[in-house]
Amino acid sequence: MTTKMHYIDPHIHMTSRTTDDYEAMAAAGIVAIIEPSFWLGQPRTQVGSFQDYFSSLVGWEPFRASQFGIKHYCTIGLNSKEANNEALAEQVMELLPLYLIKENVVAVGEIGYDDQTAAEDKYFRAQLELAKEFDMTVQVHTPHRDKKAGTIRSMEVCLEHGLDPNNVIIDHNNEETVQEVLDRGFIAAFTIYPKTKMGNQRMVEVVKKFGSTNIIVDSSADWGVSDPLAVPKTAGLMLRSGVSREDVHKTCYQNAYDFFSRSGKMKEEHWLHPEAIDQRKLFNDNSVLRGQQPKVEDDKIE
Amino acid sequence: MFERRPNDLKILLQNNLLDTEFDWLLKTIEETQLQATSRKLYLNYSLCGSRIQDEVLDDCDAVASDLRDYLKIQKASKKEIARIYLLCSVLSESSIFEEWVKKLIQVADTSELATFLKFLVLLPSPENYLFVAAEALRTNISVVFDAISKYNPYPATYFSEQQWNQMFLKAAFMQQDLGAIVAIENRANVELARIISDYAHERWAASRAVDPMIWRPVSKFLNDDLFEDIKILLGSENIKEKQAGALICFHSDFGFAKDFLNTYPELKSSIESGKITWDSIND
Repeated sequence: MTTKMHYIDPHIHMTSRTTDDYEAMAAAGIVAIIEPSFWLGQPRTQVGSFQDYFSSLVGWEPFRASQFGIKHYCTIGLNSKEANNEALAEQVMELLPLYLIKENVVAVGEIGYDDQTAAEDKYFRAQLELAKEFDMTVQVHTPHRDKKAGTIRSMEVCLEHGLDPNNVIIDHNNEETVQEVLDRGFIAAFTIYPKTKMGNQRMVEVVKKFGSTNIIVDSSADWGVSDPLAVPKTAGLMLRSGVSREDVHKTCYQNAYDFFSRSGKMKEEHWLHPEAIDQRKLFNDNSVLRGQQPKVEDDKIE
Repeated sequence: MFERRPNDLKILLQNNLLDTEFDWLLKTIEETQLQATSRKLYLNYSLCGSRIQDEVLDDCDAVASDLRDYLKIQKASKKEIARIYLLCSVLSESSIFEEWVKKLIQVADTSELATFLKFLVLLPSPENYLFVAAEALRTNISVVFDAISKYNPYPATYFSEQQWNQMFLKAAFMQQDLGAIVAIENRANVELARIISDYAHERWAASRAVDPMIWRPVSKFLNDDLFEDIKILLGSENIKEKQAGALICFHSDFGFAKDFLNTYPELKSSIESGKITWDSIND
């Protein structure tokens, strides 16, 4: 191995993960992450639950990440599933402007369609308008069912609202959707899932075929079966499969950085040159990591 | 609490902000006062973040020396003080803003919350925010806890005895610089003295060190039990512990304390000459 590579995972739900994950991620070279706000596996019934969740994304979770030497950013939005509770959705919409300006909020997200209902459409559009008003990047969740049509519809609605496609990240792509996304000038993110859907061997083929421009790899690890090391493991597999180091760097670090740092809040200096006092705080009690074997030897995601 | 002069924050900002920033701020405050809606307040509070530089204030001469020292030690920034001035201005205009300001604090991110806590004392009726200040004692986020506990005059003025004791003990647990807590002697109390003794016994039983600074509040509350602890300090091989024990005896009215200190004449004379103080122990 030459010098150790740095990675950014631009889509991971750390609220649902353990400190073991943080340790393994740091050891594997992940320096920064973006945690999109999403649903928690069961629908919330009170606006206060959203408020406290958003507050934890701009408060406790960045602190927890910092304890492991990882810089935490997030995106704030009303997810598509919970957009279907309109009475609640209205109250959440009122809350969003209070959070979009927080210090670690780098985009509006993850928003988009789940079942492509009328309510989902209404709040997707309302949030695109909010993104325009705040001049922010948008992170779009694409549906698992009826994926291709849902992905195309998401992009058309973004264009209809006058968003710059180069400032919109379309997530959860696969081989079927990527061409449409790149052709329209949007950014294509790929979630590497264990078991089903997009595995990392398939990702290697995508990069070989489509190159590294406007393509991002992420894990979307959450409370379900998922892998918080998906980005470094996929990077390892790409390198061994003959993908150039430059393409790996772009898809697993640089592209995510370029798009999300437009917020002016995400800065490389946060992890390259942490302030002396922060560094003392960061690695206090955490020196156990030094010299520890990264958990990425077996980098195949089944 | 700090000596305040009329318009001191305004002059402070005028001396530190660019003219364009200062004009924008005054206009924004007027607009917020006039419209008096939550939306306007939230928007303008947020906009301070992008309109005003996040740089440390360089010229603090406009305010009284105690506040000046506080702004310096907290490394107060132009953006932070602009926001505090906005809140002060609207709160003095109408009580309708109180609930909205509380909401702003409720949804604060970590650095905003730290700013609120550091400068609660500058807001009109700081006692209205006691709940927020006491909540900060429960946090595990060190910058938030530091904001309320270090150099901050708020706790000494507004905390109940129970809250004060909780803060002091948590600061010790978090191995924070106890010398940074304001007015330790003024808020010392018999219950805290007991808590400190229990804490020290727990640490000693686990063969762990105890910060000598923790003993500072016990002088006025020595009793037979605590005096045994102080004897342990004076018999310690750690010079700082010895000095702490001597200082406590020196400032105590407890029967045997002064006599006991006479058996350590060197320590006693160093205290009398001002060589040993709590500050010197903390160095």
